[in-house]
Formats: sequence, C-alpha cells, structure tokens
Amino acid sequence: MRILSALAGLVLGGIFGLGTALAAAGIIGPGVLIGGSVQTGGWSSDWTIGSKAANPWTRARVARHGLFALTKEEAVYFSRKTDDDGRRLRETCTYEVSGGALPALWWSITLYDGTSFLPRNTDEALSFDLTDASAIGDPTAWAFTIAAAAQAEGGWVSSRAAGEFDLTLRLYKPSPELIANPEAVLDAPRIRMVTCRELP
Amino acid sequence: MTRLPLTGIAAFLIGLVAAHAIVLGALPEFIMSKARDRLAGSGLPVHHWQMSPLVTPQTQTIVRPSPDLAYAICLIDLSDGPVELRVPAWPEYGSLSIFDAGTDNVYAGSLDARLPGAPQHRRVRIARTGQSVEGAPGVEIVRVRKAEAVALIRRLAPSENHYDRAAALVQNSTCGPI
Repeated sequence: MRILSALAGLVLGGIFGLGTALAAAGIIGPGVLIGGSVQTGGWSSDWTIGSKAANPWTRARVARHGLFALTKEEAVYFSRKTDDDGRRLRETCTYEVSGGALPALWWSITLYDGTSFLPRNTDEALSFDLTDASAIGDPTAWAFTIAAAAQAEGGWVSSRAAGEFDLTLRLYKPSPELIANPEAVLDAPRIRMVTCRELP
Repeated sequence: MTRLPLTGIAAFLIGLVAAHAIVLGALPEFIMSKARDRLAGSGLPVHHWQMSPLVTPQTQTIVRPSPDLAYAICLIDLSDGPVELRVPAWPEYGSLSIFDAGTDNVYAGSLDARLPGAPQHRRVRIARTGQSVEGAPGVEIVRVRKAEAVALIRRLAPSENHYDRAAALVQNSTCGPI
C-alpha cells in the first residue's frame, strides 16, 4: 500500500512539476517573472537577460519569448502590457504613447501579439523608433498613436489583428548610468488610453 | 482519526521539484536546438552567413523580431575545430553576437563605425573549452562548452535601401573554420 501511494505521489508530482515548469517558461501561458526584476514607470525588465547570471526561470522564459536576446551591456529590453491606468492593452482601444530622450545610442518600441510575434497585418506600421522620432520632430519630446486603423497625422503603430498585445522597448547601447540606476535615469514612455470601443 | 498518507505526499513533492527542475533546466537547450533545426530545415547550411528576409509579420520565424533591424545568421559547429567570424562595420547601430547551445549570449561586439576605436572589421575566433585556438592581433577569442553555437549580425535598417546595403555586406563577411 505504501509503495502504491509513493508511486502515485511521484507520478502526480512529476505531472505537476512538468506543468509548472512549462507555465513558468511561458510555453503554457505568459510565463512568470521570478527575481532580477527592474520596474520603472510601468515597464519591466530583467538585467540578467541573455547572461549566465539569469536564474533558470528567466533563462527558460527568455528562450521561449526572446531567443537571441543580448546582454545588458549591448541592449536592454523593457516590456509592458498595460496602460498608465493599469488596463490591459488591446486592439479595440487607441493609445497615445509619449516620451522624451532615452539614454541609449538607439531605441525602438515594437508591438507584439499574445504569442510574442508581430501582429499578422499588412499595415507596415510595426514599431516607432529614434529614427521616426527624429523625422517627425523632436527626439527629446515625441509621441505616436497605437490604433487598429491608420492615423491621418503623426506616428502610428498598428494594433490590427493583435488582440491583447504588449510593447517591447529596446535600448541599444544603453548608458552606464541607466544600467546602474534604471529607476532614476529612465524617463519611461507613458501610455494613455484615448478611446476604446466595445467588442461586437 | 484518518492517517495522512505521508509517503504519498513526500513522493509527490519529490516528483514535483525534480520534474520542475529537470524540465526548466533542459528547456533553453531544447528550444535552441529546435531553432537550429528550423533554420537548417529552411536551407541554411552550417558556416554560412545568410541574411534573414526583411522582417515582416509574414516572414517572421523567431519570436519578437525587431522590424527595424536587418539580421544575418550563421550556424556554427565546432566539432572539427574553432571557427572564425569576420564582419565589416556599419555606419549606424550594429552588433555581432554569439549564442551558445544553452541560449546564453556569450559575446556581443559593436559594429557601429561611429564609436571611438571601432574596427573596420570585427574578428572573433570561437572555440570549445579545451580546444586549441591561436590568437592574432585584433582577434577576440570566445569559448563555449558545446559544439553548437549561433552567430547573429544586427544592423539598423529602417528602410529597404538600408536592408539592401546590409545584405551587400554579407558577401564581405566570413564564418568558417580557421
């Protein structure tokens, strides 16, 4: 009886262990952020991404959701799923994203769907970057719109076919000051919901 | 009073922790191996720089690609000895990076020609731990534990014109046995 109980416990534990590992890595669901977290202005990152210092949960999650991510000396990655009021970012809403100078040689903000891929649309409006900010005005005070339909003026990133989405802010060749003290140095881009329509 | 099945609970906890740790530890290598298989299956030979198509929702093959960058990739196999990478600089942001079999970014070097002291070509020799590899002036040496690795070039390419210029540079890049 005791052997049967042990075998049943081992098998059940193995199944739960497999499930929790896949969930933590984001193979099932979005994955779990454990340790090493940098949080600033609603954006989150992990300075151990890409390095051997990353814990097993971070390594597995990055392998699934950010394969070929660089270490922090070359690039840092912030992500965000909610607007400034904490509401989930979604295709049915229009947002204004704004910010100032960012402490890096070059930066970009890209929209990804719930599967970590670019949304399957043909709008050719997938990201907004330093080149765009410089082209439309002032790279130290910029703004663009996220919406499912093209905008008459200003920068636009399309959320068409994205469903619930998230944004990745990439800072290439970040300044040493940012790496040392991200909360104080990063003027984190803001995300304001402009309008929202009900789902049919 | 009912006795708690302590043996079963203990076995459950042991099974849970062991399976969790084993699966989590094996996932990065498994995912990298699958990515290599997918790239090889798409016709990419070992030790050959290949431009990825301009990143669009229709061409993306790897999670979270950056649509602003032109990528070139080389699959590395160190089974028969060290490999040398030689990659020309780029007038804007660019990098050469190497990832080991466990997905760790073991090397990243700038290709941005604007940075002080930037070389015209970045040269890196990559070898397994314990493999003999000769150094040379201007050559960096990177060590990895397993034979499989991946090298990646990123170049800022916000337009098709930039992409075409980056693609032309691939002919001047090398990735192969020393």
